[in-house]
Amino acid sequence: MINMTLYKRELKGSVKLLVIFAAVITLYVSIIISMYDPAMMVMLDGFAEAMPEIMAAVGMSAGATSLLGFMISYLYGFILLIFPMLFCILRGNGLIAKYIDRGSMVSLVAAPVKRRTIAFTQMTVLTSGIWILVIYSTVLEVVCAEICFPGELNVSKLFSLNAGLLCLHLLIGGICFLASCVFSDTRYSVGFGAGVPALMYVLQMLANVGGNADAAKYFTFFTLYNPDGIISGDNSAVVGAAILLVGGVALYVIGISVFSKKDMHI
Amino acid sequence: MSVIQIENLTRDYGNGKGVFDISFHVDRGEVFGFLGPNGAGKTTTIRHLMGFLKPQSGKCVIDELDCWNDSDKIQARLGYIPGEISFFDDMTGTEFLKFITAYRKIGDNSRQKELLERFELDPKSKIKKMSKGMKQKIGIVTAFMHDPEILILDEPTSGLDPLMQSRFIELIAEEKEHGKTILLSSHMFEEVERTCDRVGIIREGKLAAVDSVEALRERHVRPYTVTLESIELARAFAEDFGGIQNGQKVTVTTKQSLEEIFMHYYGGEKDD
Repeated sequence: MINMTLYKRELKGSVKLLVIFAAVITLYVSIIISMYDPAMMVMLDGFAEAMPEIMAAVGMSAGATSLLGFMISYLYGFILLIFPMLFCILRGNGLIAKYIDRGSMVSLVAAPVKRRTIAFTQMTVLTSGIWILVIYSTVLEVVCAEICFPGELNVSKLFSLNAGLLCLHLLIGGICFLASCVFSDTRYSVGFGAGVPALMYVLQMLANVGGNADAAKYFTFFTLYNPDGIISGDNSAVVGAAILLVGGVALYVIGISVFSKKDMHI
Repeated sequence: MSVIQIENLTRDYGNGKGVFDISFHVDRGEVFGFLGPNGAGKTTTIRHLMGFLKPQSGKCVIDELDCWNDSDKIQARLGYIPGEISFFDDMTGTEFLKFITAYRKIGDNSRQKELLERFELDPKSKIKKMSKGMKQKIGIVTAFMHDPEILILDEPTSGLDPLMQSRFIELIAEEKEHGKTILLSSHMFEEVERTCDRVGIIREGKLAAVDSVEALRERHVRPYTVTLESIELARAFAEDFGGIQNGQKVTVTTKQSLEEIFMHYYGGEKDD
């Protein structure tokens, strides 16, 4: 099912990107967590109890004023969505489409290795990268929180939050991987693999603004990842994450089968 | 017994491009030349044999295995030199050969060493920085290093200098002696003439003829023997015109260009 020689080579090819994105994530996560001020949050909590309507209008509720709530506001809206997404886009394209476009796919298919095995191996490389980034972020968040504010962070809730994040990124990876398998031309592979997630993210931003644009949330899969819902134990948030995961798996399966059957002019 | 068998293979790309109703076979231990001008459909046919393309109609069989469905089983016994060489640019030649050895699960490195020596190739530099000829040599080593029974070679000598070309032709002759089945595509008549038993001629996607090399030679190579005034003159003449000298007599042969050979097979109908 998996060719270890190819896996090792491609994982080595991911290292540079992983190090860059891990460094960026380290920078943001450590700075943002250190900016959390419990005293201010207690004050905000006080306001929320005293005048809940006004505080809700500016998007704050008593629950969201914990360290985890603070992290959701500042990390899970942009940093932890965008950087793993960029990794998926860049790596997804490089794993299949680039090899076909350049012709070097010949070396991989002109060998006693099934196309299915090649595609499965490349998929594993992509998902490994996603796992590495999400696990690294989790460890980093725990370490930073424990250093700055010992005992403040609800670690088990952070785990469920990041499990959801993993599902989201597996889906994004699935889109990029499918694009890479379908298109033999890198232009289209990148166009589709980067275009779809980027468009979805823009729709998500529109939906966040609220008002009439609120309906945009029905057109983006980012809606299915609901960090606040996950930590408050909302069932629909868990279902959303499950849908993301199932969708991701489906995209990988389709990608592998498309690659196994496609004509390659190499 | 046929090792490679192509039956009524068709792939239409439109505008008259593609291959149309191609059928031929290559027997065990035979070297088959696949001759045709650029864009005639040689590479398209070979891509079908390699299982890169699915036939629109017809089929390709190697060792009784279907080239599309069982390509991984066929590849275990097959060596391939692609018409357009493109390896992993980020690797050095040594790393690439090591990668392919592990990827194909080849246990033994002795053949690789021997081939590197034969083609005087030092693969230490980055593939990106290699010349066309060096990349071609890497391609040759990759195709032969697992000692395959069947070889499919798409214009294997392109980019090689004349010395290396003749080393390659020696290699083909040795492989033939070892009973290997070889399909070699080329647009050079001389190359095919020196290595092959039979030749298939393809033009504009259609197989024009399949003939033995002797028949082809008889038809398209005309020897002339001329007598010169002195032996010195004969020697100089032989040198200048690539003839064989015998006393005052020199035998020179003319070789028709491919276009002329094709015109023969198409009854004088010229391209365009």
